[in-house]
Amino acid sequence: MRKQLKTNHLKLKVAVLFIALLLTTSCDDFLDKKPQGQLLQTSFPVSAADALLVTNAAYASLRNWFYHSGGFPILDIMSDDARKGSSIADGFSTVGPYDNFTITRQQDGLDRWWNALYQGIKAANVVINSVPAVPMDANLKNRYLAEARFLRAIFYFDLVRAWGGVPLVTTPTPALDLVRATKDEVYALIINDLIFATQNLPEQSAYTANDLGRASKGAAKAYLAKVYLFKNDFTNAEKYTLEVINSAQYSLEPNFEDANGIAGNFGVESIFEIGARPTEGADTGGDQFANTQGIRGTPNRGWGFNRPSLNLINSFEANDPRKEGTVIFLGEILDGVKTIGDSATPDTTKVNGVAIEVECYNQKIWTPGSNVPATWGHHRRLMRYSDVLLMAAESSNENGKPAQALQFLNQVRKRARGGNNSILIDIAQTNKDLLRDIILDERRHELALEGHRFWDLVRTNKATTILGSLGFTNKYNLLPIPQTQIDISQGRLKQNDGWIN
Amino acid sequence: MSRKIICKVLLINVLGLFFFGANAQNRSIKGKVTSIEEGKNIELPGVNVTIIGTSKGTTTDAEGNFNLELAPSETSLSFSFIGYTSQTVVITNQTFLNIILQTDTEQLEEVVVVGYGVQRKSDLTGSISSVKEGDLTKIPSFNAVQSLQGKVAGVQVFNSSGAPGAAPVVRVRGVGTFNNSSPIYVVDGVILDDISFLNASDIQSMEVLKDASSTAIFGSRGANGVIIVTTKQGKVGQEKAVISVNSEYSFQQVGKTIDLLNGKEFGAITNDILPGTYNNLNLLPNTDWQNLIFRTAPIQSYQISANGASAKTTYYFGVSYFKQEGIVPKSSFERITLKFNNTYSISDNVKIGNNITLAPFQQQNAPDVVYQAFRAQPLRTPYYSDGSFGAVPNVGNPLASLEYSNNTNKGLRLVGNVFGDVKFLKDFLFHSSFGVDLAFNKSNDFTPAFTVFNPDGTANQQQNLLSSLGKGTSNSSTWLWENTVTFNKQIKDHRLNVLAGYTLQETSNEYINIRGSNIIRDLPELRYLNNPLYFYNPINTPVINNLSSIENGVDANLYYSLVSYLFRLNYTWKDKYLLTASIRRDGSSKFSPTNRYGNFPSFAIGWNAINERFMQDVKIFTNLKVRASWGAIGNEKINYLRQYSLITSSGLTSPVFGLANNLVSGATFDVSGNPNLVWETTYQSDIGIEVGFFNNRLTGEFDYFNKQTKDILIPLRTQGYFGNGNGALVTVNAGTVLNSGFEFNVAWQDEFKGVKYKVGFLGNTLHNEVLAVGGSKGIDSTLVGGYLGNGQASTLSRVGLPIGAFYGYKTNGIFQNDADLAAYPHDPNAAAGDLRFVDVNKDGKITDADRTYIGSPIPTFIYGFNFQLGYKGVELLTDFQGQYGNSILNGKEIVRPDPYNFEKHVINRWTGEGTSTTEPRSSFGGYNYSISDRFIQSGAYLRLRSLTLAYSLPKQWIDKVALKQVKVYVRGTNLFTSSSFTGYSPDFGSSDVLSNNIDNGSYPVPKVYSVGLNVTF
Repeated sequence: MRKQLKTNHLKLKVAVLFIALLLTTSCDDFLDKKPQGQLLQTSFPVSAADALLVTNAAYASLRNWFYHSGGFPILDIMSDDARKGSSIADGFSTVGPYDNFTITRQQDGLDRWWNALYQGIKAANVVINSVPAVPMDANLKNRYLAEARFLRAIFYFDLVRAWGGVPLVTTPTPALDLVRATKDEVYALIINDLIFATQNLPEQSAYTANDLGRASKGAAKAYLAKVYLFKNDFTNAEKYTLEVINSAQYSLEPNFEDANGIAGNFGVESIFEIGARPTEGADTGGDQFANTQGIRGTPNRGWGFNRPSLNLINSFEANDPRKEGTVIFLGEILDGVKTIGDSATPDTTKVNGVAIEVECYNQKIWTPGSNVPATWGHHRRLMRYSDVLLMAAESSNENGKPAQALQFLNQVRKRARGGNNSILIDIAQTNKDLLRDIILDERRHELALEGHRFWDLVRTNKATTILGSLGFTNKYNLLPIPQTQIDISQGRLKQNDGWIN
Repeated sequence: MSRKIICKVLLINVLGLFFFGANAQNRSIKGKVTSIEEGKNIELPGVNVTIIGTSKGTTTDAEGNFNLELAPSETSLSFSFIGYTSQTVVITNQTFLNIILQTDTEQLEEVVVVGYGVQRKSDLTGSISSVKEGDLTKIPSFNAVQSLQGKVAGVQVFNSSGAPGAAPVVRVRGVGTFNNSSPIYVVDGVILDDISFLNASDIQSMEVLKDASSTAIFGSRGANGVIIVTTKQGKVGQEKAVISVNSEYSFQQVGKTIDLLNGKEFGAITNDILPGTYNNLNLLPNTDWQNLIFRTAPIQSYQISANGASAKTTYYFGVSYFKQEGIVPKSSFERITLKFNNTYSISDNVKIGNNITLAPFQQQNAPDVVYQAFRAQPLRTPYYSDGSFGAVPNVGNPLASLEYSNNTNKGLRLVGNVFGDVKFLKDFLFHSSFGVDLAFNKSNDFTPAFTVFNPDGTANQQQNLLSSLGKGTSNSSTWLWENTVTFNKQIKDHRLNVLAGYTLQETSNEYINIRGSNIIRDLPELRYLNNPLYFYNPINTPVINNLSSIENGVDANLYYSLVSYLFRLNYTWKDKYLLTASIRRDGSSKFSPTNRYGNFPSFAIGWNAINERFMQDVKIFTNLKVRASWGAIGNEKINYLRQYSLITSSGLTSPVFGLANNLVSGATFDVSGNPNLVWETTYQSDIGIEVGFFNNRLTGEFDYFNKQTKDILIPLRTQGYFGNGNGALVTVNAGTVLNSGFEFNVAWQDEFKGVKYKVGFLGNTLHNEVLAVGGSKGIDSTLVGGYLGNGQASTLSRVGLPIGAFYGYKTNGIFQNDADLAAYPHDPNAAAGDLRFVDVNKDGKITDADRTYIGSPIPTFIYGFNFQLGYKGVELLTDFQGQYGNSILNGKEIVRPDPYNFEKHVINRWTGEGTSTTEPRSSFGGYNYSISDRFIQSGAYLRLRSLTLAYSLPKQWIDKVALKQVKVYVRGTNLFTSSSFTGYSPDFGSSDVLSNNIDNGSYPVPKVYSVGLNVTF
């Protein structure tokens, strides 16, 4: 019996040693746990189908709430067109400082905007870096690359206008120690990308109905014109606006309100817009841009930020229908829904007996309905044909072609008057300086609350004059680099002038 | 420090009564020496076996076996061993002796459970604290870890929530990492993350391993401490089954409610802000929402167990039922635990066994009505006159939230192992154990369609237009195969114990969550998603499926494999000088192939000074031991995907194109992974001294520890231009944290005229400091956390501060008038009556840069003291416990986007010059609600954790009905808490170390009153 046990021991020992040895040798396999339900970046994109996916994803950043200047329409709020809005307390210290120019380097929203723009740039860079190696149809490949470069350009265009020179990232995995490039370097990249886009994108009409929303040749040209306008290169601005106008791809919506409204989604006037679905949540296709500004209270359409200012309301020419098309006043009935407003917001705010603000809302983001989800389906227009016409007018005027300028300017006014010839009569002014102001004024009323006014004032050096009483000072020509970015870079990123202390 | 050892009287079982003939030849006698420790039969190696009348003898081997040749004249053997009473046995015709040595109460020798084995307490070089069965069942909770609070120096236990089934949070010697800082649990050899499936009555002991000498053998997982849980076993030699029945019934109540404004006061504040809102404050209604949501709720706990042994087997069988209803309706936890522990001796050298726990449970989770009740305006009525729910602006009616909530989860947990022990070559023991941890969970969350109406008849925001149903399942499984060989040998004065082992573990988990809406009826039996009810949605694309979301994947924290090699040497010379050295090499799938393996060594020495000759004359000492250890221990509790750069595809990466607004698929690069990740390693040093005086009536244990965790795996923000997006974090090895402190545990026990009493006091100091964060270029060097409901970060873990330090403005009174305002730097929004923030950076402005350190969530002193009194059958047990030096951020008061109710102190507001220097003027939110020290409260408290009065029926009564013990008791838990905190309970916290001690309106920890009955027969 004892002997038997001993042999058993021996057998066991051998068995154990054997098993242990076996397992030791296969250890590396045992420790190799592949990601589950996850694809590695090293194996994507590799096919034409992948290339489409990665190109599509570059557009998705446009629906990122933070893409819209950090979530809140601060570019309007910083202009003379709008006040903070919402209730008194809501966003008081986060959005309020953009209204009264008391923002700090840590101001809420700056970091989000910065990060969202670079997130978009990364998605574009993935296409630009990876798709060239994908075996696929060369024309389609060039279109994808052009779409990505168009998107990268418009993201950088926001960055350069908001902050000036920024780190120039052209690969999905940039170096850890980049510093800010110069403004000119950033503009050079933007122009280069947009020129590539004008050469390789199809015209809008060449897209199928299911592809509306993709960047087109016209969109690239319109953006290129705008970029040149910001560089005061009126020759090129005029050139590209005229190419858009002469392409016969676009026209004005007969009804001004359709230019931003649901009936004009991907319509004749839309050169580039952000598609969205009426569903609460970006993951299901919604875009929170309009929800942020929608009527607060009754009907509940949103938070009510970006309230049209009395200054804007009072600045419209007599009987300009665009005032009603831009502002939702209390008591107004739109698509059968009456606006009652918010009980925690005063109907009229007065200082020393003088009204300084009335409760009202941005009509440009209106969508029919009485609940919140529909507002998430608003399509934000990033580039409209009337903007191109006004840019054409502006550059023509600067280039000494007042007649051509007036022709485009009056096209815009004609549509606005909606057939009522007693209002918004044609402009005949040919004095360059006076016409410049008239065109700027027309831009204000045509494009109010669409995010253009503040940068138009900065670009034309009128911000100090017009916004000075609101608190604007020279340092606001550029926003402060978000302090978090400077901190994370451990000082490699330098702050803009005027914001260092 | 002495402990009760349940020990049977000395038994000598004489087996093998075989007559080998009457030849006057030398005879061979074999035998085995064991001792019963904690119900387990422990083999005693190194026992001196001497032949009386000669100088011949031997010592027992690693398994307690001995073998001697006896001359015919040699007729008796003596067995002696330190810590045990010597025995003499007369040899007649036996060939095999089974000797059970009884522990010597004079020089008590404890055996302590350590990693992969047991060790004599006197040989121990590590810092280990034990909590035994009696103390483990004192707290009426589903989780036995609760009973460690205030019982183990260096251990802090707090509650993430007071809700039934909510996991307690355990910290051993501070917070050593920014990651998961929870200890691991080793239940009968199976390594686990929690022990919520165990019934406290089934547990024999819990050993908390604190220093590197004891935890390094667990290598990559020991850095946050190790809690070894030993469950009850049948007792060798106890042939008659012991059956015990324990039942306890408790009821719970909210300890205290928060002082909030009543209707009249709220009206007054509202009138300050919006003058003329209420004309007659005395006519305002008042609803006490807290009173409406809390109830008295029972806990039932029943257990029956049987244990015993036969010659070759031992068994323990336990079945228990635990049910806790919450003090908030619709919250409960219910569990059945089945416990089977068996051993079977196949032969003298081979033993097999199993330890298995099977625990089905179900839980109901209440919605967050505690926070709702805190915020709900007192002027609102809970019900309209027609009985329907009243609308409560901005927060919703808590009672309606309760009514429409049906959130449950059910599960089954199976944890256990089967093992075999083989003794060979006399001193070797091979142990192989295969363990599993299987968890199956199902969740069910149903909300019917409902609408709460405003007084004017319009629909309130508190509504759910379509019924919605969420279902989830998750299965996780772990298997762990451990193989160890132990060599145990005593040669004269040298005692050697060597352990070598090889273990493998694999863990995986998969979940599926589905959500849908528009269930055809609200009935419980229809809460499935198998009959999709399509519906028309006029806003959306016309017809959609009722499934709104489907998620499926593996839990990234529960998908990994580990390979480990371990080695330990314990050496004792003359019972005086002790040495322990260990090393473990771990390989983990969580790291890339080049960084996969980590080595974790430890060294420790000890000196039992009491055994020195010169101490023999120092009569007052019963024990004196000094020990010191150093070691490296790892932590790898990170998501396995952190090393990989992945693709992301979801609605968020998909654009909307086309006239039909199609969501078009997109996929792109996600956040960059970090393939360079390595283990984070904790280097811990410990110096300890153990003393006993006056025959161990006074005992003490003192330790100093210093723990530095390096290469901490931290998810940090990277440069925005990386394009990872908002809130995206990349895990890097970039941090160092120090925890150091003193631990003490002193006790006095004695008997005076039949009154037994014991007084104990234990605690620890703790210094927690971040020594480094970030460091490499392009990576954030500040670590923020503690995000409040409005997205504001409230903690900053910066070099020089504790982990999760609160960060905000310091206040310095109230601006009394405009002149005051003009004289101080102030925020442009500030006016007279507002808080004065301190211009910390002295730039003449109040900006974000003036936010500074305003408090630490980590206590600097944690303590417990207890007092026990026993006289005849009556016992009185009291446990106090407390902490000091930490702060609580009252987060629930800060987040005020809308007009909510206020805490009472607001009524003492500033209403004009000189009216207040602490409470600012009335406002519904805004400037005065920035994160500041106004919302910092002391987290110090002293609590009567447990008070028990027990009575055991006299033996002569129960003997008649063949009962061994009958004990009845009444107990109070959390009866009294001394604290200045205005919230429910100061002993709460979060398992997220960067968001700890922030009160966001958490479910209160209740007061509990219990009665119980224990019967043994």
